[in-house]
Amino acid sequence: MATNQATNFSHPVSDDTAEEIKSQEMLLNMGPQHPSTHGVLRLVLMLEGETVVDCTPVIGYLHRGIEKILENRPVMGGIRYMDNADYLSPMLNETAYAGAVEQLMGIEPPRRAQYIRLLTNELQRIASHLVAIGTYGLDLGAFTPVLWTFRDREGILSLFEALGGSRFNVNYMRVGGVLHDFPRGWLKECEVFLDQLEKNMVELDILLTANEIFESRTQGVGYIDQQQAVAYGLTGPVLRASGINWDLRVNRPYMAYREVAVRPQVRQEGDCFARYMVRMQEITESIRLCRIAIDKMPGGAIGTRTPIALRPPRGETYFAIESSKGELGVYFISDGGEYPWRAKLRGPSFVNLQILPEMIRGHKMSDTVAILGSIDIVLGEVDR
Amino acid sequence: MIISSMLVHSVSQASNTNIWLDILQFVVAFLSFFGFVLTSAVILILAERKIMAYMQDRVGPVHTGPWGLLQTVADVGKLLMKEDIHAAQTDKTLFILAPSVFLAPVIAAFAVLPLSPYVGVPGTALATGIVYYVALSSIDVVGIVMAGWSSNNKYSLIGGLRSAAQMISYELPLVLALIGVVMLTSILANTGLGTISIRDIMTYQATSAYPGRGVGFWDFVFQGFTPWAWFFLQQPLMIIIYYICGLAETNRAPFDLPEAESELVAGYLTEYSGMRWGLFFLGEYGNMTIVSAIASFLFLGGFSGPGVAFLTGLNNIGWGLLGNLLAIGYFVTKVYLLCFVFIWVRSTLPRLRADQLMQFAWLILIPVTLFNIIVTALIYLIMNGLGSPNWLFQIVLGIVNFAMLIGFIYIVGRATVATTRRAQAPAIRAQRRANAAGQLPEKTSAGVARGGQK
Repeated sequence: MATNQATNFSHPVSDDTAEEIKSQEMLLNMGPQHPSTHGVLRLVLMLEGETVVDCTPVIGYLHRGIEKILENRPVMGGIRYMDNADYLSPMLNETAYAGAVEQLMGIEPPRRAQYIRLLTNELQRIASHLVAIGTYGLDLGAFTPVLWTFRDREGILSLFEALGGSRFNVNYMRVGGVLHDFPRGWLKECEVFLDQLEKNMVELDILLTANEIFESRTQGVGYIDQQQAVAYGLTGPVLRASGINWDLRVNRPYMAYREVAVRPQVRQEGDCFARYMVRMQEITESIRLCRIAIDKMPGGAIGTRTPIALRPPRGETYFAIESSKGELGVYFISDGGEYPWRAKLRGPSFVNLQILPEMIRGHKMSDTVAILGSIDIVLGEVDR
Repeated sequence: MIISSMLVHSVSQASNTNIWLDILQFVVAFLSFFGFVLTSAVILILAERKIMAYMQDRVGPVHTGPWGLLQTVADVGKLLMKEDIHAAQTDKTLFILAPSVFLAPVIAAFAVLPLSPYVGVPGTALATGIVYYVALSSIDVVGIVMAGWSSNNKYSLIGGLRSAAQMISYELPLVLALIGVVMLTSILANTGLGTISIRDIMTYQATSAYPGRGVGFWDFVFQGFTPWAWFFLQQPLMIIIYYICGLAETNRAPFDLPEAESELVAGYLTEYSGMRWGLFFLGEYGNMTIVSAIASFLFLGGFSGPGVAFLTGLNNIGWGLLGNLLAIGYFVTKVYLLCFVFIWVRSTLPRLRADQLMQFAWLILIPVTLFNIIVTALIYLIMNGLGSPNWLFQIVLGIVNFAMLIGFIYIVGRATVATTRRAQAPAIRAQRRANAAGQLPEKTSAGVARGGQK
């Protein structure tokens, strides 16, 4: 048995006192099929007892070549494939892609389209954070939050279904605007949903945030200091939880965010609890932004007239938005043809994942999932 | 089964007790326990799914039978028909043996529990009571370690080892929590000689003093049923600690580390499938039942309830049968109420970490239970020295124990805060350093870029 456990990778620990009983570090392949690696991530853990000595993330199990696919599709057709990059926030992905093309072509979408984008983006951010928080509870062994948050997320998906015809791969954004205007009564429904969500969030707060076990599992675990966070290029809630006030919606405002003031949520602790709390606060903030967008929703066209067969001018551009996980950038090169010459995504999950080994080292094995869950990665975006 | 036992009961009361009737009673009792464990596992699984579904805003099983009542039956049928899979290079003997080693003690532990005044193992077997239960409940861990070791799976191994550490640690406060009750019986016995027999402990919770003694109606209600004398009022802290340890013993949330789904896939169960897995599952729910049953006997008056002692004391076949049925009803109600708390806790709390689990057992639970033993003894010595009656002692003990309960909650809260502060210390220190050096990056992009250079 013991010989089975020991693989070629494990190194015997030198021990003078016990010569017969040798203790070895254990190599544990966590994933790619594992309940809480949030997809097909594989972590090669080196364990000494329950303590993690070393951790190597292995990625690429979900690689579908999205960037290559984008090069082989007409510019407008690429939007549909952006849904599958970060499959928990398709609206945000589409906004980034459409924004990049618009920036290259010098199109400014009408104000109404911009506000629709803001509204859908914030709803999507809420949905994404709800999944992050719910599955984070599940990682820590709390079974109820995930079902509550998925119930709330269901409301958002239904709203999207009414808007774009599809719950998940919405394919709603277009270069120069959006696909459809709101169906009748949609905004009213949205308001009702936001009121309900606000109540549900209070409930969730009582269940999870105020729980002493939850606090002791997350506080002080997986600490990232400010220098480290910046050095690793972290963005999004993970960065803001380390006390750095950096939010693209504020610092590089785009589209309707130039008119709507966002209050970035920052916490100083830098641990898993801070990252969780930043997401909780961002949900509240997003609800506020949604209400503002509904109130200020201007009239007019929902898009500029653009041909289906778009031919962006020669050139390159980089356009980044604040996705639910951080800076989601699209680097777009056009050779003047119908297809993009190159489209490159800067996925926040991919960049944020880099710091994982640094954080996990020295923690207990149970903390591995707590830390991994707190980064909130989506493997679809990491592998693309 | 119950009906036949009742008939036997009436026969035994009619004629003089003889050895054959004892054997018959034994057989009936054994079959009742066996049936009770298995059916209650099935009922509990369904109840858990339904109750958790209600708490989580979903419907739970609905398709099999009315309200999904037959879901567990269908599941068991599926498990029985599944292929028996062994992973490569498993230790076959241990792998096959482990589920039985896990399940057998659970069923055997019921031997010391009487389900009603009649349905229980006859003779002196019951006298070993608590010791027997504790001994058997610690055999479980052997089954789990066997399963973890023989599976040839790293998750299983970690799960098995975690389980060994956890169950051995929580065995201690569990026993120490029960000692308080045993001390109480020795004080109430007036002879200084207490009991560890579970049935006798139950009878100590029934006092002969109740309002309206001698009046038919009040006799019917209160004979053998005096909730104000139940031990959970005198040892409220101990029932809570016993219950917490019970959660850990049965590997239920928030102490389900051995099978922590999010970390260890399924812990020691990872390689098991089909009915072998089902046996583990059965054992787990049987364990839940027995922990609740022991708690209900030791702290909640067991099967006592209005009418039980009165009816069985009438020496009449029909009334005796009714009394026994009532007793089983009360007992099962109490057990399932406690099991409901198990389910409730599971749907509320996240899981602890292994080191926090150990800290909680060794640094909080064991000192508190030891302290409780000393306090119980001290109060008795003082009250006895002052020459006060037993009821006054019980009241004072109850008050002190309630105060200790509040103190316990306070201590646990403080301990959590202290551990968290310790864990957060590096972050706080780094923040102070950064503040002192004035190196906080500014809010502008340029500031962030500067901060990035280490």
